[in-house]
Amino acid sequence: MTEFDSTSIGPDKPLRRGRESRRHSLEQIEGAGAPCQILLEAGENIMGREADARVHLGSKRASRHHAILRLRETDCVLFDNDSHNGIFLNGVRIHSAVLRDGDVIQAADCTFIYYEG
Amino acid sequence: MAAYVKFWGTRGSIPTPASWTRVYGGNTPCVEVRFDDTIFICDAGSGIRELGKDLMARNPPPKELHLLITHTHWDHIQGFPFFAPVYADATRIHVYGRQANDDLTYRLLSGQMSSSYFPVSFKELGASVVADHLNDGQKEIGGVRVRSFPLNHTGGCLGYCFEKEGRKIVYATDNELEIQADDLFPDLDNSGPLRRAPEELAEMAREADLLIIDAQYDEREYMTRRKWGHSCCFSATDLAIQAKVKNLALFHHDPESTDRAIDEMVQACRKRAARHGAVLTISGAREGVEFKF
Repeated sequence: MTEFDSTSIGPDKPLRRGRESRRHSLEQIEGAGAPCQILLEAGENIMGREADARVHLGSKRASRHHAILRLRETDCVLFDNDSHNGIFLNGVRIHSAVLRDGDVIQAADCTFIYYEG
Repeated sequence: MAAYVKFWGTRGSIPTPASWTRVYGGNTPCVEVRFDDTIFICDAGSGIRELGKDLMARNPPPKELHLLITHTHWDHIQGFPFFAPVYADATRIHVYGRQANDDLTYRLLSGQMSSSYFPVSFKELGASVVADHLNDGQKEIGGVRVRSFPLNHTGGCLGYCFEKEGRKIVYATDNELEIQADDLFPDLDNSGPLRRAPEELAEMAREADLLIIDAQYDEREYMTRRKWGHSCCFSATDLAIQAKVKNLALFHHDPESTDRAIDEMVQACRKRAARHGAVLTISGAREGVEFKF
């Protein structure tokens, strides 16, 4: 029988490792620009009609800075940025929400699926 | 003026952290209802812990909070000792009874912090926690009209209605909408007529922007859980339809309900509302989701 080597889990070794190969992302499935995949960055990701938006909404119904996706250490939070036409999570208009894998987000004429990293 | 409602705990009975409760959440009831700067906290289940952290991180942290407990079953009070603002000197927390001299809720909240249960005593709390009361079930607090109303639950329970400048939020958890003699039950293929809702409850919920209601069971589960003090989702939906509610949040999820099961309940209730021609948005109450009205 092989003896268990405790040095293999010594204090200088991480107990668990975060997965670095997958990042939080949106898959756009409807609206101008679809289909496409958008990788989210740590911190704030603007969703809107303006050119500086990381998640671009190609729709006249979209506000310039329509919503914000805030990627935190543990999760991603979606905020409506006082948009004119609102933001919908799984078919329901919300003001903010902690996102979960597979959530469907609608903004103006665009639809996205959120994937956790 | 805007009203905000945020779910911090939506699960009934006992905290249920699990991979299969990750979407709707495993914390027991706690809902924040905010009208501008006036903050109401409905129930102090385990979800209040995260709310407390969030409140303390706000700039500035609120100095006054209004805590309304529906009833003192464990899942509605167990988070209170872990609520960060109770340790903050500058905070004043009002705990409401239904009427003058009704300090039962206050006594039970403080009682669960006796040394046999918890290492920090109620007297050591930094915040000023005061026993306050509605006046025969109603009071204006920060310009918000607050009313309590009785619910059908083992040992008694109160619902709360909040109104200001045309916004109306109703919180009615731990309530059994009992099947009446002429109701179709079970309605397993979701094809039956509306079940007649209790008139007083329907009146309280009438045209609410949001009704948060006990809908712990689906039709099949409720067959074996009648008289347990909780409702099935079809009866909850039928009440909302008759009260012409605008948004309905199915609440107090069963500890055994998986995220997928709750999704299916929501879908079935949406079909039911559509079949009856109701203009009603239905969702499953989910931790971390906030609405604005």
